[in-house]
Amino acid sequence: MTLLTDKPRDHVDPQSTVGAAPEESRAARLTSFEVSDFPVPNGREEEWRFTPVDRLGGVFADEGDDDREGDYAADYDVSGVMDVIAQTALAPGQAPRGTVLVPGDRGAVVASKHTTEALHLKLEAEKEYAEPLRVNVHGNGAGRLSSAHYVVEAGHHSKALLILDHTGSADHRGNLEVIVGDGAELTVVSLQRWDDDAVHLGQHDAQVGRDATYKHIAVSLGGSIVRVNANVNYQGPGGDATLLGVYFADAGQHLEHRSFVDHNEPHTNSLVTYKGALQGDGAHTVWVGDVLIRKEAEGIDTYELNRNLVLTDGARADSVPNLEIETGEIAGAGHASSTGRFDDEQLFYLMSRGIDETNARRLVVRGFFADIIAKIGVPEVVDTLMAAIEEELAADMGASA
Amino acid sequence: MSTNIEELNPGLKDLGTYEYGWADSDAAGSSAKRGLNEDVVRDISERKSEPAWMLEQRVKALKLFDKKPMPTWGSDLTDIDFQNIKYFVRSTEKQATTWDELPDDIKNTYDRLGIPEAEKQRLIAGVAAQYESEVVYHQIREDLEEKGVLFLDTDTALREHEDLFREYFGSVIPSGDNKFAALNTSVWSGGSFVYVPPGVHVDIPLQAYFRINTENMGQFERTLIIADEGSSVHYVEGCTAPIYQTDSLHSAVVEIIVKKNARVRYTTIQNWSNNVYNLVTKRATCAEGATMEWIDGNIGSKVTMKYPAVFLLGEHSKGETLSVAFAGEGQHQDAGSKMVHAAPNTSSTIVSKSVARGGGRTSYRGLVQVLEGAKNSRSSVVCDALLVDQISRSDTYPYNDIREDDVQMAHEATVSKVSEDQLFYLMSRGMSETEAMAMIVRGFVEPIARELPMEYALELNRLIELQMEGAVG
Repeated sequence: MTLLTDKPRDHVDPQSTVGAAPEESRAARLTSFEVSDFPVPNGREEEWRFTPVDRLGGVFADEGDDDREGDYAADYDVSGVMDVIAQTALAPGQAPRGTVLVPGDRGAVVASKHTTEALHLKLEAEKEYAEPLRVNVHGNGAGRLSSAHYVVEAGHHSKALLILDHTGSADHRGNLEVIVGDGAELTVVSLQRWDDDAVHLGQHDAQVGRDATYKHIAVSLGGSIVRVNANVNYQGPGGDATLLGVYFADAGQHLEHRSFVDHNEPHTNSLVTYKGALQGDGAHTVWVGDVLIRKEAEGIDTYELNRNLVLTDGARADSVPNLEIETGEIAGAGHASSTGRFDDEQLFYLMSRGIDETNARRLVVRGFFADIIAKIGVPEVVDTLMAAIEEELAADMGASA
Repeated sequence: MSTNIEELNPGLKDLGTYEYGWADSDAAGSSAKRGLNEDVVRDISERKSEPAWMLEQRVKALKLFDKKPMPTWGSDLTDIDFQNIKYFVRSTEKQATTWDELPDDIKNTYDRLGIPEAEKQRLIAGVAAQYESEVVYHQIREDLEEKGVLFLDTDTALREHEDLFREYFGSVIPSGDNKFAALNTSVWSGGSFVYVPPGVHVDIPLQAYFRINTENMGQFERTLIIADEGSSVHYVEGCTAPIYQTDSLHSAVVEIIVKKNARVRYTTIQNWSNNVYNLVTKRATCAEGATMEWIDGNIGSKVTMKYPAVFLLGEHSKGETLSVAFAGEGQHQDAGSKMVHAAPNTSSTIVSKSVARGGGRTSYRGLVQVLEGAKNSRSSVVCDALLVDQISRSDTYPYNDIREDDVQMAHEATVSKVSEDQLFYLMSRGMSETEAMAMIVRGFVEPIARELPMEYALELNRLIELQMEGAVG
């Protein structure tokens, strides 16, 4: 039985006319390698309206890295890649660099231009990498410009875990370009454990092959301003993408996560889940999740979820899930977003069972993060994360005690 | 058992097309001037013998309109030609208080729309009928008038209650609010003015009916509702227009002031023909303990951009929007709601249901804003969209802006297609596919339909059937 009977006759799409018309869909947004296409944002742009651009200053500069004699702006330590078949440097425009990631904003375009040598990790087909591949980025000073671009190419039916760990301080802009081969299984973890004065803008784009599985996990704990955009599209049917995020914002910290899943192929799935906690005056988190289901992409299953837990006064959480669907042949689509404070009833319940308030609060926060932590499934990351959350909470308890 | 929906509903076979698409003879409209400039604005004001301050406001608003950019979000509005539109069409010289006083054409139109019949049966407490730019018929139940309830067209209100009018006009939606609010402020004409004195409850709805007859008409009614302390009122409006080759514009401004512990419900069933741009600004302010409810049905029009808003300014005030939208071929319904929490212990609810078919596009666009100091506010947003075929489109763009920690906020949206299981089940019980589809869609919008006054719920159901005609076959 078919549901489609009335063909689009001579229907003229009102969106097809030119002029000051709104962009037809999220996919129509500008991407380019030209720095001049992305002027320095002033904060009034839709893309930047939540970001404190006045505090970003230097990171938008169309300048190379602040490397000094024997003292680089950032050190890169690459390990666990002995078995990688290629570990070479790619110049701008040298394929596969630029095939998946085309810069979508000012941060990404300057990162792209000023990374003359992109790290290229090519993973062998049909090989399972037992040890995680690691890239440790350590910034050597606040305000020092550093740029990075990584290209990860997972061969068909390979299986691997890549951990990108950011520590220290810098004005960092980093692009990550991921090609997940057919049937491959790749997990990418991006840890933002910066010092308090670091700035980090990142664009992480992935193309998911036929029947491939891609998981992107963003964990943002440190830094003054962190903005990581994780985007996905598909190269064939059967692809599966999971974008996860956990963040914990303290006083004065701005943590922003954006994602865009472009269902451009039929029978592809996506699950986007971001959870965050906020405490302290001026703590600000932003989550913008865009999902587009194109006309030709039938049989899509997608769900987006964002939950924010506000622990103290003066914090602000922005949450914007956008869903664009151009076909009725979908398996399921939805999104949910909620922002709330401590549930007094939960606290009361725990305390009535003899648990003191400090521990009760700790339990509630742990419970809040429990399901996403279960989804992450990378023990090393889970341990780091739990330790960090405990530490944040301890600081809070100390302050309130 | 009959499997044919037409046999079950003998009248239905005529319903394949837009039912309100006829046009009356149009002497007033054909002689009306096109285009917009200061002279047009001055002319409107002069013909209404308005006070100088009103003219001043209009001229100022026109300048704002010229300055404001077209919105670059939402629907494509590039085809609107502001210089081809007729800004003021006077269809009759005198406002009538009985239907028989109206010119035959206009009376017949309202007869066909069924308005006098509803009034006769006392289903409504008062009627205003606006034809082109001005209200042509007006009546209110005597007992309400005695209690001091004002239900007038806005032009008369300005003449007869200038002080009250001036106090509230533009107080909720300033003329510079957006490009179309500025346009409305400069060329407004007609609309309803409602004032309910303290403690008075208007128990059955007041009703307004808006009709565009002239081609390339711009209708810019201005509605102002003031519910004084502890009062309540329900206002209902309906809209239709003939089908023409070129487009008309409807750009209303509706301002509602809900005072302490008062309650206002505003119901719209918009069924403009598919060549009307419907760009409307609607907003209410709620004082302490007040409740504002928007029930917003968008079925007709070519493009609708409408986001009824509630500004919750007093403690324990409450805002609610129920929104239902249908988009068929060539239609874009960009609708939603806006809730601004500016006081502690306020709550808001938005429920949106939309159905897209035949290549139509529905968008939910909403904003929930919790300002600093609005402690212990609660908001819940639920959007459901139903897609009936592969060529239609549904988008959801909610914005949440929370600046206070002591808040519960939830948003949820689902988009689904009509399930083949449901269809199969109904068809196995002897229903045709059309019937089954219409039944599923009716079930989908039922939570909103049951909030409507009886005759509007019936109308909505009939419109759904009409919309679903040709959806399957």
